Amino acid sequence: MIRFLIISALSIVFLTSCALKTTEGLRQVDFIKVEVENPYFSNPEIDYVYKAKIEVYNKNFGGILIIKKTGIKTHRVVFTTEFGSKLFDFKFEGDDFTKNFVVEDLDRKFIINILRDDFKLLINEKANVLMAYESDNQSVFKTKSDKRYNFYFLDKETEKLSKIVNTSKTKEKVEIAYTAIEENIADIISIKHNNIKLRIDLEKFKK
Amino acid sequence: MRNYFLLLFLVFIGSSIQAQDAVMHASETATFKEKVITSAKATQTIKSDFVQYKHLDFLSEDVKTSGKMVVKAPNLVKWEYTNPYQYSVIFKEDKLLINDGGTKSKVDIGNSELFKKLNQLIVNSVKGNMFNDADFTVSFYKSSKYNKAVFVPKDPKIAKYIASFELLFNKDDAQVYEVKMVEPSQDFTRIIFTNRILNSTINDSVFNN
Repeated sequence: MIRFLIISALSIVFLTSCALKTTEGLRQVDFIKVEVENPYFSNPEIDYVYKAKIEVYNKNFGGILIIKKTGIKTHRVVFTTEFGSKLFDFKFEGDDFTKNFVVEDLDRKFIINILRDDFKLLINEKANVLMAYESDNQSVFKTKSDKRYNFYFLDKETEKLSKIVNTSKTKEKVEIAYTAIEENIADIISIKHNNIKLRIDLEKFKK
Repeated sequence: MRNYFLLLFLVFIGSSIQAQDAVMHASETATFKEKVITSAKATQTIKSDFVQYKHLDFLSEDVKTSGKMVVKAPNLVKWEYTNPYQYSVIFKEDKLLINDGGTKSKVDIGNSELFKKLNQLIVNSVKGNMFNDADFTVSFYKSSKYNKAVFVPKDPKIAKYIASFELLFNKDDAQVYEVKMVEPSQDFTRIIFTNRILNSTINDSVFNN
């Protein structure tokens, strides 16, 4: 009896610590979709310009985030202050990443790595589907990138991408949420980190 | 032959630039500086609208923002962006008071050499002292439309961020109507001032966050 209690207690601890809350309440389904797409920064004709608010460890910064698809596999991501001076200028080309410019105060490896990973996830246009899940109103596709996983949440009715959750095997790390979506442009985007106190809110410039 | 045409083309381009912006003679520079200093000394307050264009070589269009600027001598400056978003910065006693769409914050610029120098430059411009700044090499140009002062930073720390900045002055009243900040990458920011009102009464409370 005691043995049974220990085993069940252990298995509860084990199972709960291992269960990723991202897929809670979802049912696994067969999938026909081989790739999941993110259309929000994929049009080379568009200058994507957003007002950005960054909250990091209770400090606030503002600026302008500018993203442009400059080649088949190339994106430029530039962040400036409201006055226009550049804080960083990155180039993503396939899996290659180039720092064109970074101000001295931001040029630390751990900061650059976080920014690189966040923006790579933001602009990544396609990923191979590993598994599929669904709920009553959402289709969810699990993909892999390096040692992490990304879960793409699509609204069943509109088929629009509403959320990407980046996870380790057991924990949610980053969440990107898209709202106010019109014609493959998300007017409002939020990037929230769970393991560090970092949040980036983006609001598209209105014409 | 092709090289010859290229050379001709370059000479033509070069001369057309020269035709627009000629280097000022020493005597013209002296007169111009004096006019700017006199005009600045007579200026206690400035209110102006502005439009800012951020040029990045890979964009199809410059990023455009606009708002109002208020300056009160000797050292109060407020930049307020109103379109397409609300954002204001007040330069006040070694501090930046920021209001980012309702989120207020304060930055101590006492520790930042770069900010200190930029702030000093703004204050000096208002006082008419900007041509004596030891941190920049200044050169002067003229055209039929404007007089131009080009500032090149001497400090390599600043030169990493700013290749040069240019102030364009009206010929008649010697007031700045355009500022252009050029980055080492040659991307630049242009700010154009319009609807300027000089020496109206401005309450100090405008500079509270």
